[in-house]
Amino acid sequence: MLPTISIGPLVLPTTGLVYILGAWLVLTVVERAAKFTGASVQPTYGVAFVGMLAGFIGARLLFVATHWSAYVDNPLSIIWPLSSGFSPAGGLLVGGVAALYYARWQRLPLGRTLDALLPGVIVGFMVVSLADFLGGPGYGQETTLLWGIDLFGIRRHPVQIYELLAGLVALAAWYFLARNRIRPGRAFLLGTAVYAAGRLLLDAFRANAPLTTGGFHIIQIISLVIMLICLVFLAFDTPPETAETAE
Amino acid sequence: MNRFARVIILLAAFLLGVAWILESRERVAGAEPVLESAPIAGYAAPDFTLQSTNGETVSLSDFRGTPLVLNFWATWCPPCRAEIPFFQSASQKYNGQVAILGVNDGERPDTVLDFVGDYGMTYPVLLDTGSAVSVRYRVTALPTTVFINADGVIAELFPGIINEAVLEDRIESLIRE
Repeated sequence: MLPTISIGPLVLPTTGLVYILGAWLVLTVVERAAKFTGASVQPTYGVAFVGMLAGFIGARLLFVATHWSAYVDNPLSIIWPLSSGFSPAGGLLVGGVAALYYARWQRLPLGRTLDALLPGVIVGFMVVSLADFLGGPGYGQETTLLWGIDLFGIRRHPVQIYELLAGLVALAAWYFLARNRIRPGRAFLLGTAVYAAGRLLLDAFRANAPLTTGGFHIIQIISLVIMLICLVFLAFDTPPETAETAE
Repeated sequence: MNRFARVIILLAAFLLGVAWILESRERVAGAEPVLESAPIAGYAAPDFTLQSTNGETVSLSDFRGTPLVLNFWATWCPPCRAEIPFFQSASQKYNGQVAILGVNDGERPDTVLDFVGDYGMTYPVLLDTGSAVSVRYRVTALPTTVFINADGVIAELFPGIINEAVLEDRIESLIRE
């Protein structure tokens, strides 16, 4: 774990640094993926940028709205500090809706746009895993395996490293289909299914995963649903000619 | 691949997924007992004993059964000074539900006493004169706030300045646990 980095007298939180660099990396990956898949580069980049910016604002606004009594006497604290105080649900909702509207406004084809965006999304999840590994509260279950990491005297599964590897496998699966540029949307579906399967598998090794009241891993349940939806579309989607025409 | 084969594959994926979720549940059903103490969420908060500015001897273990917020700070640290009113306000708002302790990192008692008086801090402020507790909690940046549940387990370590809303959000989470 490396929660902070010291540069001379300056102590910087690793998580924040990783997120800032991660935002740049996600946008760069989307831009390159758009070129690779033959999608319109600038509009696709715009979807990612608008989604991220709106998601950031939405996550903050929902948190502020649900804790308004703490902000009302000091409205400046709405904009500073920004190191905490975000609602993930607000970010997903506002970011998702903004990205969708921007994509519709730009009249982007659904399949090819999703193909171009997926590597950015997977890299985004990998950035979260890396930030969690360096400075976050997540850690794996105990293990005797050789590659376990020592955490305060106990050898544990490096579960966030596993997640990074799952992301790489999903990117490889995406690349496998995206390079052929046929049947838009299939690279997105395969990459998503592989990543979801990875998280379904790996969350079992997390020691402090969010659970339902019955003790089931919430991330596993969500991953299974997403994986099955993608597999259904992959198995029963329309022929390539129809798919292209529909867009 | 015909339609039947696709359905079989989907069904197999579904069943394998469900089986793995059930298997994972068994693993967590007897979740590891918290035995170790370490400055990380999910572990028991390391115990310590310090003198307060009032001259009382205070141990972390005295607060077992009550959610606790530890705020590591110093008088020379501007972000620490900025957030002290939030801790003061929270100590009054959640009085009896949560204990809030300030842990001054490595300063002379008279400096801290003057500051506590000037800022009107009424919650307990402990004197970590030799920074032993800060080292034990691996505090690398001031301020750092540690949220500890009623069982003495660390819920979150929060490096850096915290705003009032986040502080209240985390305290209410501790109370709900």
